[in-house]
Amino acid sequence: MSTWQDLVTASLIGTERAEVPAATVPGLPVRTEAVSDDPAVLLLDRAALLTVARRGGTLIRPAGSGFQAEPLPAAEPDQASAVSPAAGRRLGRMLGGEHPDLLAEWLTAVVARDRRIPAHLLPALLDRARRVSPSDPELRRLAAEAGGSRARWLARLNQDWAFVTAHTEAGEDAWRLGGKSQRRAYLATLRARDPAAARELITESWAAAGPERVMFLSVLASQGLSLADEPLLEAALDERDAEVRGWAAHLLARLPGSALGRRMASRALGCVRIDAGVLSEHVVTSPPVQWDNAMRRDGVSPRGGGDLRQLDDRTHLLHEVLARTPLRTWTDEFGRTAEQILAVSSGAWAPVLFTGWSRAAMAQRDQDWMTALINWALAGGPTGTLFGAETLRQLARRADPARCTRETTATRAAEIPPPVRDAISVLRFRYDMLKELEL
Amino acid sequence: MSVPEAKVSSVAERWDRERVLALASDAPSQRTAQSLASGRAWTAAGAAAEADAVWGECRGSASAPYRAVVDLTGPAYRCSCPSRKFPCKHVLALLLLWSEGSVPDDAAGPPDWAGSWLMARAVARGVRGDGSPRSRGVPGGRPPGSAQSAARRAEQRETRVASGLAELDRWLCDQARQGLAASQQAGYAHWDDIAARMVDAQAPGVAERLRALASVPHSGPGWDGRLLEEYALLHLLAVAYRRQAELPGPLRETVRSRIGFSLRQADVLASGQPVRDHWQVLARRDLEQDRIRARRTWLRGRKTGLDALLLSFAAAGQALDDSLTVGTDADADLVFYPGAAALRAAVLARHGGGTVLPDGGPPDGGPPEGGTIAGLLAGYAAALAADPWLDSWLAVVEVIPARAPVPAVCDVDGGSLPLHPGAGHCWPLFALSGGGPVTLAGEWTPRGLWPLTAWDETGRAVPL
Repeated sequence: MSTWQDLVTASLIGTERAEVPAATVPGLPVRTEAVSDDPAVLLLDRAALLTVARRGGTLIRPAGSGFQAEPLPAAEPDQASAVSPAAGRRLGRMLGGEHPDLLAEWLTAVVARDRRIPAHLLPALLDRARRVSPSDPELRRLAAEAGGSRARWLARLNQDWAFVTAHTEAGEDAWRLGGKSQRRAYLATLRARDPAAARELITESWAAAGPERVMFLSVLASQGLSLADEPLLEAALDERDAEVRGWAAHLLARLPGSALGRRMASRALGCVRIDAGVLSEHVVTSPPVQWDNAMRRDGVSPRGGGDLRQLDDRTHLLHEVLARTPLRTWTDEFGRTAEQILAVSSGAWAPVLFTGWSRAAMAQRDQDWMTALINWALAGGPTGTLFGAETLRQLARRADPARCTRETTATRAAEIPPPVRDAISVLRFRYDMLKELEL
Repeated sequence: MSVPEAKVSSVAERWDRERVLALASDAPSQRTAQSLASGRAWTAAGAAAEADAVWGECRGSASAPYRAVVDLTGPAYRCSCPSRKFPCKHVLALLLLWSEGSVPDDAAGPPDWAGSWLMARAVARGVRGDGSPRSRGVPGGRPPGSAQSAARRAEQRETRVASGLAELDRWLCDQARQGLAASQQAGYAHWDDIAARMVDAQAPGVAERLRALASVPHSGPGWDGRLLEEYALLHLLAVAYRRQAELPGPLRETVRSRIGFSLRQADVLASGQPVRDHWQVLARRDLEQDRIRARRTWLRGRKTGLDALLLSFAAAGQALDDSLTVGTDADADLVFYPGAAALRAAVLARHGGGTVLPDGGPPDGGPPEGGTIAGLLAGYAAALAADPWLDSWLAVVEVIPARAPVPAVCDVDGGSLPLHPGAGHCWPLFALSGGGPVTLAGEWTPRGLWPLTAWDETGRAVPL
């Protein structure tokens, strides 16, 4: 509408210097009588008339002229059934900042159950996955997988979410020619589909891989770790690169049947035993008194220079050994369940045993031990130390919430230690969260 | 020895998360509060049923813990932290913990530091006679004074408004004479000064429109046209007031309400004709201005087909009216405010309580019937003919979102509308549609469609 543009131009210049153009609205009689002889009033009058006329009329244009938007191609339908409304609301809460660290668990559960995420939450989920440390691509992979076809459709509209299709479309070219993150995406996808093939690819590429070996090991860690990976990992223990050695020892400790596990067990058995005692039985703990290169090869390093004169340094060593010892060692040796072992008084050593065994239980994903350890802590166990509180925090995020006590016996708020209160809140949240996904 | 069991439900009705989060003054407050609400930071927290209060100590960066206490009847808050946000993150986190049931009842009552403050509040409440905070703009007692003095005051106001609007019109003409080109260099004061004079002239509606203009010169291409539009409409308003005697009654009401002669809701409810219908609650938009939060709730009657706009206000820190949930129906009597394009309404009475349904199925009635873009614009044009200042209109359309040339929506007839630039990328709307048709409710404005609610494939309303 050129009349309007003429009016705008005149208003920019000002009626002191510009002529006020005539205004006509199609269909309206042209007003001839002058309302005012002040050109400023005339300009504002005419502008008001055209403003309302334009608002009321101009946007209804015949097709093909003026503003015309192109519809988008439709997304392919997603066959998976939607999660329950309650689960959708919880995802919204987590994306809003409540327990954001549990998002990966929620997504894993959604993928395992083959459910569909409410579409309107996908943008926030993809944004979160993009922002959360690019060095940990696990959340991206989960978000891409849980997001299904709708997430792939969105990724084509917004470059920020390109990682969604990078994971699903990582072909062999990505492996041969791509950068580190594309190679990782290819390897992770292969590992998810065919763990043995991924292992072979790693073994073949190992010698030439150089600094990428750490990436290889992190892919092994993320999914499908099994005893079949042991030869590769055992060999990696003799690598020069300390980071590679550390990863290998860490992964072998997660495999209770590994040779490393057996070596740890023989070290640990000398340190912890149950003594019948005179009045009541108790756990007798004696930390290791020596350290050798075989221990270092298995990932156990002393604090400081290997000087074991201080009790603290020996305690540290015990802790490292316990954390890598297969938990079956203890149930077999003592002929008791985890719960029964923890029920035996361990005196001042309780905090060390708690954190050591907890690390082992989490690494080996041993739900019996995690449940027993959590219940021990919630019933007033050894969480008084900073270390213990952090361990409980981690346990509460990994143990099966359906098996753990989610109550406290204290009635006064002030009596509940904050780490315990936090653990209970996390366990309840996870319990409800997993329950809702069954609906 | 028996230990008394922890009571959970004895505290007055527990608020839900949304209600707590609605108290936050901004989104960052909501986020920090949620991360604080893990219970880890809270050393002692309790709730008292009789006192309707919650309190707790939160370990922060200072050596002494922060002490937060909430009087749930206000609600009123106090916290020992130095934050200038109100309520602060500690108060919000405490309320979140309480809302999820993580704050146990404390039979021993509040500790002294909380008790003394609560006591002082209780005493103050006793003096005022009721527990309600002083309300703003809702029915209350008439100001004291005889009918005579009320009439005199009304007359005084007319005189003030008349001279104020005459001044405004002179100011507008000055702008037109000198040219708008200089506006891009003008600071906020340019508009704030004239707005302040309109406040003095008791024309708050005009003042608000003027204050909003300060951002127009920096709103991107086309700003000159938008500024001229607003000046022209203000000029039209000033002229309309001057010649109000010549106007038909409803239009005169519209002019007066746009200027800021507000009717008391109680008077509207008492004098208007109630319209009973099953009102679909279609969309909601919250705006904040000068520490006042406004909530606009859009309704459409299933039987009458009438559109209605409910406005509610709250001071920052107070919860907005939450009685109507988007995606539900409300069987209610509404009374419309007088005006040429009757849109604003107030609820006189609700029947049969809320109709919020439990999870499982879509709310009763399901999604509204989405119209075409041509239909929406025809309706808006007709309303504009009655009220030329109307700049937001309920849109309920069946559309396919588009991204080119700007975020927009199209319909089957080939019509298309841009989305409001202020609404951002609207990714949730796009994600929900997946490129297919979707029923969308929003506000149609001269700058574009502001999407507010969409309905998913199960017929559930999704606030955008």
